[in-house]
Parts: sequence; structure tokens; C-alpha cells
Amino acid sequence: MISNAISIMIAVPLVGAVLAFLTRSRGQARLVALIASLVPLALALQMYTEFDKSSKLMQFVESYDWVPSIGVRYTVGVDCISFPLVLLTAIVSVLVVIYAWGENHRPNQFFALLLLNEVGVLGVFTALDFFLFYIFWEIVLIPMFFLIGIWGGPRKDYSAIKFFIYTHVASLVMLLAIFAMYFTYRLPDGSRTFDMLTLLQATSDKTVFPPGLINAIFAGLLFGFLVKMPAFPFHTWLPDAHVEAPTAGSVVLAALLLKMGGYGIFRVILPMLPHVDKAFVTVIAVIGVLSIIYGAFLALAQKDIKKLVAYSSISHMGFVTLGAVAFTWLSIQGAMFQQFSHGIITCALFMSAGTIQHSVGTRIISELGGLADRMPKFASLMLAAFLASLGLPGMSGFVAEFMVLTGSYPTFPVYTMLVVFTSVGVTAGYHLWACQKVLFGPILKKYLDLHDPHAYEILAMSAIVFLTLLFGLQPALITDMMGTAAHQVMEPVVTLSQMGVI
Amino acid sequence: MDLGHYAPLGAEALLTAVSLLVVLVGLFTKGRSSLPGYLSLAALVVAMWMVLTAETNTVFFYDSLRVDGFSQFFKAVFVLVSLLVVIASLTRYNGRVGGDEYFALLLMATVGMMVVASAIDLVSLFIGFELASLSTYAMAGFDRTKKNLEAAMKYFLYGAASSAFMLFGFSMLYGMTGSTKIADIAAASLAAFNPAILIALIFVVVGFAFKMALVPFHMWAPDTYEGAPALVSALLAAGSKKMGFAAAFRVILIALLALKLEWYMAFAILAAVTMTVGNLVACWQNNVRRILAYSSIAQAGYISIAFVVLGVASEGMTGPNNLPLDQYALAGGLLLVLGHAIMKTGAFISTAQVASIAKNSEDPDDISNYAGLGRRAPITAFCMTVFMFALAGIPPTAGYFGKFVVFGSAIYGGLVWLAVLAILNSALSLYYYLRIISYMYLREPAGPKISESKGYVLSLLLALIGTFWIGVLPDGFFNWAMQAAAALLP
Repeated sequence: MISNAISIMIAVPLVGAVLAFLTRSRGQARLVALIASLVPLALALQMYTEFDKSSKLMQFVESYDWVPSIGVRYTVGVDCISFPLVLLTAIVSVLVVIYAWGENHRPNQFFALLLLNEVGVLGVFTALDFFLFYIFWEIVLIPMFFLIGIWGGPRKDYSAIKFFIYTHVASLVMLLAIFAMYFTYRLPDGSRTFDMLTLLQATSDKTVFPPGLINAIFAGLLFGFLVKMPAFPFHTWLPDAHVEAPTAGSVVLAALLLKMGGYGIFRVILPMLPHVDKAFVTVIAVIGVLSIIYGAFLALAQKDIKKLVAYSSISHMGFVTLGAVAFTWLSIQGAMFQQFSHGIITCALFMSAGTIQHSVGTRIISELGGLADRMPKFASLMLAAFLASLGLPGMSGFVAEFMVLTGSYPTFPVYTMLVVFTSVGVTAGYHLWACQKVLFGPILKKYLDLHDPHAYEILAMSAIVFLTLLFGLQPALITDMMGTAAHQVMEPVVTLSQMGVI
Repeated sequence: MDLGHYAPLGAEALLTAVSLLVVLVGLFTKGRSSLPGYLSLAALVVAMWMVLTAETNTVFFYDSLRVDGFSQFFKAVFVLVSLLVVIASLTRYNGRVGGDEYFALLLMATVGMMVVASAIDLVSLFIGFELASLSTYAMAGFDRTKKNLEAAMKYFLYGAASSAFMLFGFSMLYGMTGSTKIADIAAASLAAFNPAILIALIFVVVGFAFKMALVPFHMWAPDTYEGAPALVSALLAAGSKKMGFAAAFRVILIALLALKLEWYMAFAILAAVTMTVGNLVACWQNNVRRILAYSSIAQAGYISIAFVVLGVASEGMTGPNNLPLDQYALAGGLLLVLGHAIMKTGAFISTAQVASIAKNSEDPDDISNYAGLGRRAPITAFCMTVFMFALAGIPPTAGYFGKFVVFGSAIYGGLVWLAVLAILNSALSLYYYLRIISYMYLREPAGPKISESKGYVLSLLLALIGTFWIGVLPDGFFNWAMQAAAALLP
């Protein structure tokens, strides 16, 4: 195995971003972007073959002194919690570059920003030092701000600034919580550390972190992650950002950036969960349930297909929240799988919405109809994507949601039944309704000269649909890791029943 | 006389000599030579080297100047700012009539600031202050436009008032302790508390607060930074303002040690009000230089947190890795000073570039002139973007690391409310920084693409490197700041 694989994985897109920025033509920019994003994918696949799925330890760890005077180290590594997301990032980044192959508005900046975004997201998923983690967490905002702001729709200024400030404020609250941990805990030799695993382990020490403090730290971190997810009621930045963002931006936002919030829940929130006030569990579960139901109903009410997909993201990310705090082996595994699965499916959904926008010129559902007649390849891919999203058995979305619901039932029977009886039907409803309106029925006269989109768009979407099927039919490819991860999260701590929650 | 003994003051001597030489060159070439600019540039480069390699812990002129780690740090900041400004000024002022005077004044101002950094006696401190102030008063009106003159006049009047306050405070201190040496005043005030010292303190704080542009003594700053030539504004905001901090750290810390409790609350309130007012008012501005001026006021508020922590830090309080808290806080303040000096110089030089191509000539600094700058002047816009993000405290930049240390020291010192307020302010500031960025990249260009002046680009890129250098590899700078802080603390 190549040593320093993770550092190379982060460095190559960074160098690629600079090179892409300096290119003069679209051809060069996209070629640089493709090569620079293929390298992390190749490394991730190589790592996958060597990854020990049964190990609870960090793998491929690299650690160097960075700012020794204040206890900051450059530490990166992956374990079963983070590796699936690294894989997801590597896959999605390549597919987004392919999908955006035809971008001709300032292509050098566009591809450079996509690569910079990949740097940030990969960094978040691999950093094991809070200082480093926060830096990557913030870096991600910059490319996204420009992607929305430069290539966005009519209200791009407003949306870009709202996105940046909203999520930055949440990050700062998270930073305060990180500060609080850093300033409270000392290593045995009296020095301070930003090491994530050390600090998270230390939070169980009631002499260092008294209950009041630990609750405050927990709430700060939780707020940072819930905004990023985004969970109801902190979701309002998301529809604005999505609607105005260019397709590639929406894809990256939904497939990768939201996962940072979910990752925070697994990496940081769950290890602390047993030590905080039990009321938090209920609050988080309610937030999850509300996100699922509220997101689904709002999606049902949308006229714009992209907004529909945006709200469906809120709904689907609610499963992550619910599954995580239900705290059973199955539910955590399901929640992690939902992160991965939603990351893939939402790509296909936003690409569908984007392709309609590019080909037809509108995303308003009532103005569309019968596209399948003229765009058969696209229609079949879009239909597959929507079916995957509504949870059709055989596709990854079904596996994930099934695991979450089954796993959550023992902990939260009422909430789980509520989700099953309200949102599942609504979810199926809005997906099928949108597909029916957009793709089927008689073709409208004005769309008679439409044709299938560019080959690269079809290629990217096909790859994703293939992946949803692959992970739907053979979830063990990746659920093995999540099973280990779920054990890892639960092992050092007691279960909820021992905690006295249920 | 042993001249070798004075070697640590070589940088000051060199700059003084060159500033006089520059005037002579101007005299014999009728001000049309391009020599002054290059001479000043070379002198500053050599001075930088001399500052960094000077032997420290030496005193001169009957204990009135002291070369130590602290003065070295500030001198390096001043020389760096002047260097960046000179590089940018080459295209604007070199080889023009009056160019020689401009460079001579700039070097004089630098020498004045350096004297302040070294001064351990109130008299030498005041001389340094006035040398820097008088030079910059003249520079603020240098282009002789109506706006320039108004700015210079405001700057001069407020500056003179602040000098008067300061001098009055100094005279009271002298009257009560019988000495102008900062160390003697410290000893005397520690030995016997005298309420009159408190009154002297108030005058001194007010005097310094004018220079540092702390609210409510900040009113001159936006008008002056807006009206003066942009490159001079860079020098004012990044250089002479920091001179106020150099003086304040020395005088208030040492001389008034006995009054810790009193002045710590004063500075806590000053810091809190300064950052909040600065940020809030900046949100309403449409003139980019005014935005930068208010942002600079807000940043002064962040730096002042270091004073507050120094006030509460008692014996035995420690920061990370068992570093003494007072030293840690001071080091954070110094890092913010250094980072802010670099970022602000860069930002003001960017405004100079924009003003030189402005379409709306009635107000060349109006934010509308920044529309589409990303395409009209890509390098300037890119650098400006980095400075804006850095000033807002987005990692990995100098702005983030400095804030990290200062805000952290406030938490260590038990001033969590101040740290929280500072972080909230940081978030608020993002709004107006993003606004400038959004004009540059999200709007249609306000004019055709232009060729960016080489001098501006060079100094912008240098500032850019500095901004990232401190942010990505902060350890060396942190240790340097810690040493500088150690030199000052008892």
C-alpha cells in the first residue's frame, strides 16, 4: 500500500484545483479536474481492498506535529465510520466532474472549485484532530459559496450569502464547543490536545467534564451538525441554496456536504451520548421524526422539481438522525448506510432535475409532461432514481430505510410507527406524482423537438443508478463496515436500556 | 564613542539617513528621478534584515530606548508594512514631482513608529509618536484633492487632540513619580497607590485609544482612511495604528501594573464596544474603504482582548501546554497585530488598484466599482478575496490563527462572555466581507478588463503569501510572538 495514501488523496485535488484554475480552456480545465478526481477514487478503491472491515481501529493513520506549541497535530486516518464516506466522496466527485463536462461559463474556476470542495470534504472525513477538522469544515464553505454565487440562478447573491453565514454561524457554535473541550481537558503531562479520539474518550470522565459542561459542549456540537444536515427547524438555508445552485453544486451539496453533519453525529455525538442528559435523546429523535415527516409533506407541495428534491433530502436525512439516536446495532448501521445511500441517490435526483432544466428550460412540474416520449434514456434513468429514492426494494434506499425503521422500533416504537404511517406513503406519493407528471402522459407540443441529453450526463447518471442497484442488491459490500462501526460506537458505552432511557 | 554599541539601532539610522538622502536626490533632480522609490525599497529590505538580526536586550541613550524581542517584533511589522506600501507606491509616486517627498515622509514615519516600539521612556515615546504622526499627517493630504485635504485635516485635529491627552497624562505621571522612565513609574505606582495615578491613566488610555481607533475615539478613522490616498490609508491602518498598540502594551502594562483591576474593566468594556460598533456600522457602509476602516476598528477591539486578559491573568494561571496565560494572551495580541497589518495593507492596496480603474469617478471606492472585479482584475480580486476571508477569520489564514489564540486566552482567563461576544462578532463581520466578495465575483463587470499595475500586484502577492504563511505554518510565528511577549512581561 502506498504510505501517506490519505494525504495524497487530499493533496492531489488541491494541486489539481490550482492547476485547473490556471488553465485557459474548458478542455484543459475539465481534463485536469477528471484526472485530479480520479486519483482519490483510485486510492480509495485500493484502500477498500486492503481495508480491514472487522477492525474497530483507525487505519492508514498518519500523524505529524503541526503546531506543537499549542498541541495541534496533523492527524488523519479512517475507520469503519469514516471510510464509506471517503469512498462516497471519491465516487461522487468523479461523477460530478463528468456530469459537468459541458460547463462553459468560466470553466477553469468551476472545475477548480469542485476540486477544492473535494479537498475540504475528504479532509473532514479523515481529520482526527479537531483543529484540522475545523479548518476543513470551513474550507468547504468557500467553494460552495462561489458555486452558488457565480453559477447560480436569479437569487444567487442572497442564497450564497445566506448559505455561508447560516452555516458559518453554526460552525462557530461548534468551534466554541471544541474550545470548551480543549480548554478543559489536559493530558496526563499537563499539556492540551486537539486529538479527537482522546477528547471524545475524555468526555466520559465526570471529574474533568461535569454534567453541566458536558451538556453545553454536546449541545454546541449538536447544533453545528444539525444545521449542516440539515434538520428541522434549522433547514431553511438548504432549499434556497439548492434552488439557486448549479446542478453540480446541488449534487455536491446534497451528496457530500450534508453528510458532514451526519458524520459529525456518528463521530462526535454518539460517543458522548451516554454521558449527557437523557432528554437530549428524545429531543434529537423528535427532530429526526419531524424532519422526515415535515420534509416529505413540504416536498409534496412543491411546484419546482428541484425544490421537491431539496425537501426530500431533509426528509431522508431525518432517517440518519432517528437511526443514530435509536442506538441499536441495526439502527446505527442503517443510519450510516442511509448516509451512503442518500449520497448516491440524491446525485441522480439532482442530476435529473438539472438535466430537465438544461434540456427543457424549466423545472416547474406543471409545465412539463411526456418527456419520456422524446428522451427515453433520460426518462428511464430518472425513473430509476426516483424509485430508488422512494425506497423500492432492490435499491439501496430501501435497504437503508428498512434497517433504520426496523432498528429504531425497539427504542422508539411510537415515533417509528408514526414515520411509517405518514411519511412512507407521502414519500411514495410525491416521487411517483412527479415522475408521472414530468415523464409520462401525452407529450406537449412545444417539446416535440427535444432529444436525449449529452452522453456525459447519461454516463454519470447511469453510473449512479448502477451503484444504487449494486448496493441495493449487495449491501454487504459496505454494510460490513457499518456493522463494525455500529459495534464500535456502542461498545465502550452502555445501551439505552442500561442508560435508563427506555 | 563606541559606534559598535549602537549597531542594534542600525535600522533606524539607515532609514533616517536614506530619508534625508531621498530628499537630496529630489532636490538635485527636480523631483523627476525614479531613484527615491528604489532607494527606499532597498533601505527597507536592508532594515528588515537588520531588525531581524539585531542583538536584543540592549538599552540606549540613558535608558530611553530598549531593543528587545518586543520592539523587534513591532519593528518588523512596521518595516514590513512600509515595504509593502513602498512596493505598491512605486508605480503611483515614483518619478513624479513630489515623489521624493512622499518616500522621505514614509521612511520618517517608519522611523517614528520604530522609535515608539523601542521607547521605554515617556519622552522618547512621545518623540517617536509625533515623528510618525507628523509624517503621516502630511502624507494623508498628499494628492491635494479636496477629499485628501479634508481627511488630512481631520486626522491632524484628532491626532493633535490625542497627543494632548497623552501628554497631559504623561505630565501627571511625571509629576507624581518624578521620573519619565516607564520602569520607575511602575515601581513608584506599585510602592504607593495614589488616586491621581488613576486620573493620569485615564488620560493616557484616551490618548492611546485615539491612535488605536477604539470606540468611542474612532470617529476620525473612517473619514481619514476614506479620504487619504489609498496607499497612505494602508500605512495608517496597518502601521501607525499598530504603533498605538506598541505604546499601549508597554506603558499601560508596565507603568500601571499597580492598577490592574481598574484598567482591566475599562479595557473589557472598550474591547466589547469597539468590536461590536465597528462590525455593526461596517454592515451599513457602501464605500469599501469605509468598510475596511470599520473592520479595522473591530479588529482593534479583538486585539484589545489581550489587554483584558493581561489584566485578569494572575500568577500561576496557564494557557495550553502550561504556557503562562499573560504571555499567551500577549502573544495572541501580537499575532493579531502582525496578521492584521499584512491583511489590511493588502486590502487597502487592492482598493488603490480599484480606485485607479474606477468607472464611477465621483466615489472611486464605492462598492459598485467592485462589480465583476474577478474578471476585470483577476489577481487583485483573488487577493482581496483571500484578505476578506482572512479578516473574517476563516482558516487556514493569519486571521484565524491570531483570533484562535486571543479568543482562547480569554476563555482561559475566565472571560467566556468576551470570547463568545468576539466569536459572534466574527460571524457578523462575515456579512460585509462577503458582500465585497459577492460584488467582485457574483456581479456583472462594471467595466472592461484592465491591466493590473505590477507594483500593486507584487505587494498584493507578498501579502497573500504572508497571510497563508502565518495561517498554515503558525508555529514559528507563535514562538516568535511568545518570545516577544516574554521580553515585555516582568
